[in-house]
Amino acid sequence: MTSLIVGASSGLGRALAQELAGRGHELLLVSSDARDLDAIAADLRLRHDVTVHVLALDLAHEADPGARLAGALDTMPALDALLLPVGLSRSDDDFGLDAARIGQLLAINLHAPLAIVQALLPRLLASRGVIVLFGSIAAVRGRGRNVVYAAAKRALESLHESLRQRYPPQQLRVQLYRLGFLATNLTHGVALPAPATEPALVARIVAARLTRESARWYLPRRFGLIALLVRWMPWPLYRRMRG
Amino acid sequence: MRGYALADVPLESFDRQYRARCRVQRPDRYRLLDALPADAPSIARGGGVSYVGASFGNGAISQDLGAFDRLLAFDPQRGTLTVEAGARIGDVQRFLLARGWYLPVAPGHPRASIGGCIAADVHGKNPARDGTFRAWVEAFELHRAGEGFVQVDRARDAGLFDASFAGFGLTGSITRATLRLARPPSALVLRRVPVADLAEAARILREAANAPVLYGWHDARAAHFGRGVVRIGLASDPVASLPAGGDAGSDLPASIRALPFALWNRLGIGAANTWLATRWCRAGQAPLPLSDALFPLNRARLYFAGYGQAGMVEAQWLVPHPRFEAFAHALSECVARMRPRIALLASKLFAGTPDGFSFDGKGIALALQLPHPASTAQRAFLEALAEIAIAHDGRPNLIKESTLDPHAVRRALGGFEAARMRLAHHNPAGRRTSELARRLAL
Repeated sequence: MTSLIVGASSGLGRALAQELAGRGHELLLVSSDARDLDAIAADLRLRHDVTVHVLALDLAHEADPGARLAGALDTMPALDALLLPVGLSRSDDDFGLDAARIGQLLAINLHAPLAIVQALLPRLLASRGVIVLFGSIAAVRGRGRNVVYAAAKRALESLHESLRQRYPPQQLRVQLYRLGFLATNLTHGVALPAPATEPALVARIVAARLTRESARWYLPRRFGLIALLVRWMPWPLYRRMRG
Repeated sequence: MRGYALADVPLESFDRQYRARCRVQRPDRYRLLDALPADAPSIARGGGVSYVGASFGNGAISQDLGAFDRLLAFDPQRGTLTVEAGARIGDVQRFLLARGWYLPVAPGHPRASIGGCIAADVHGKNPARDGTFRAWVEAFELHRAGEGFVQVDRARDAGLFDASFAGFGLTGSITRATLRLARPPSALVLRRVPVADLAEAARILREAANAPVLYGWHDARAAHFGRGVVRIGLASDPVASLPAGGDAGSDLPASIRALPFALWNRLGIGAANTWLATRWCRAGQAPLPLSDALFPLNRARLYFAGYGQAGMVEAQWLVPHPRFEAFAHALSECVARMRPRIALLASKLFAGTPDGFSFDGKGIALALQLPHPASTAQRAFLEALAEIAIAHDGRPNLIKESTLDPHAVRRALGGFEAARMRLAHHNPAGRRTSELARRLAL
């Protein structure tokens, strides 16, 4: 099986790379820094004896990331899985960002997944592959924090629906995970209202479900209940939760 | 911003003698190593299992390098491995053993990082045969805030190379290293040689200097002081061996939850010594799994938990051969007089040359682990031990004993000031700092 992971150098992306390499996947890993990618690729080759390709790509400034990925895939076997655990958040994403920083957040969290999905669709349709998108619990209901990040993640839910509406399951499978708190650098030092989950645990579940049909899941599952409570909370009460 | 995030975390030395709330950065990408301001006091943190506070301290940001744990290059022809410095020694050994190689020098705790092994210049199961960790490092890379990455080897910068071993992370954050490997014994058999006292143990240790595994265990109670066994691990017929075994899940945790009570009171120490004397102090031999030989602490979880909330302290002194017998005699008298509680007494043979703050030399090292180090009687014994050791030209292991008095260290290490100056040369503004560095004014 051949898998492409965008955002593979840290957090969930790195955990997915380790998990899929352990399952024998040939990998194309994409991230912004060549040195991180080279280190991960070397480690996976040594530990799992798998073929790993890398592509350093600055998604915040790359006009056509899909074309770059398509070019890299030309020398590889048919693509079976496209995983997009790519994301960037900022602690000052609370209506305090200038246009350049808003553009950077949108480029990484939304533009890159959209552009990559569209560029690689023909390959994935040919292999009846799977696209795995990663949303966030932050996108369940808009708040005064993570403003741009949450908007971009909610747009990914729209992309998930668009893909499923356009392509029947016999042609393409599309999976979306609404992620709760993960123990990554994104949450390091942040006081969280619920315990963070280890990325390796999430990666194991995502990898095991790659062969399943299209669906939308909360991970960890308990965040489904939390999302329900947040979504149905009366507005006057929700409005007071500004902390 | 990502990577600059600092968590306020309570940290504790492995011996429980030093605790502090520290700011911890956890970079997971190379560029985030540069995220901290260059003038911020900081120190690298690997496995976080040093007995003393070497990877954290009041006011210093601990830069946790746990994410930098990748294997980078393995040359099975030459026998070299390049690895990131956050890699755990247990993981590295498992990878190598599966491919017919190993690192002969490994500390007892499998979660120690490669960077930590360099920074502490650790010793292994027979330092007389294998030297200390520095003997197995070809090159390494340092990162310094504001300066970037520096490649270091004996040819390129011998001064910085040497200073970084037992440099306690003060010359910079070690980010990767190229290690020399050796072929492991195809199998091990553990021979037990009972000894009546420390002097006899020293003779047996010297005679078995070339064994892959070599150490003595001794009863430290006044009535039986020094009685014990020298354990000699010898290469043997593979049929006699047990598989290496083990995985990361069976490794001793970095932090061990203490029992709510102290197991190692006089009664507990007495019972344990009697049991070990019955079990070990008989001549004979038995197959020894290599994993047990390399990481004996994996079986010591209850032992460490048994020190309770008060924790323990380990004192290690290396005494030159000509002075060892007199040292052992003086120590025996001191124990008879002061009757300290000593949970463990072990001996090892060394045959190297000390450099800087490294724990090396030609002699016999004794390691003593004591419960309740803060109690008046225990503290008095530790001070007496230091005086006896210094009087017999003993050399302390700075990375082990968290209660060592800085004045005693200066008296014990003749070259203390030169070693300190050498470190200061590579840390001129003192921005890399830790509790160990503060306590000993390094």
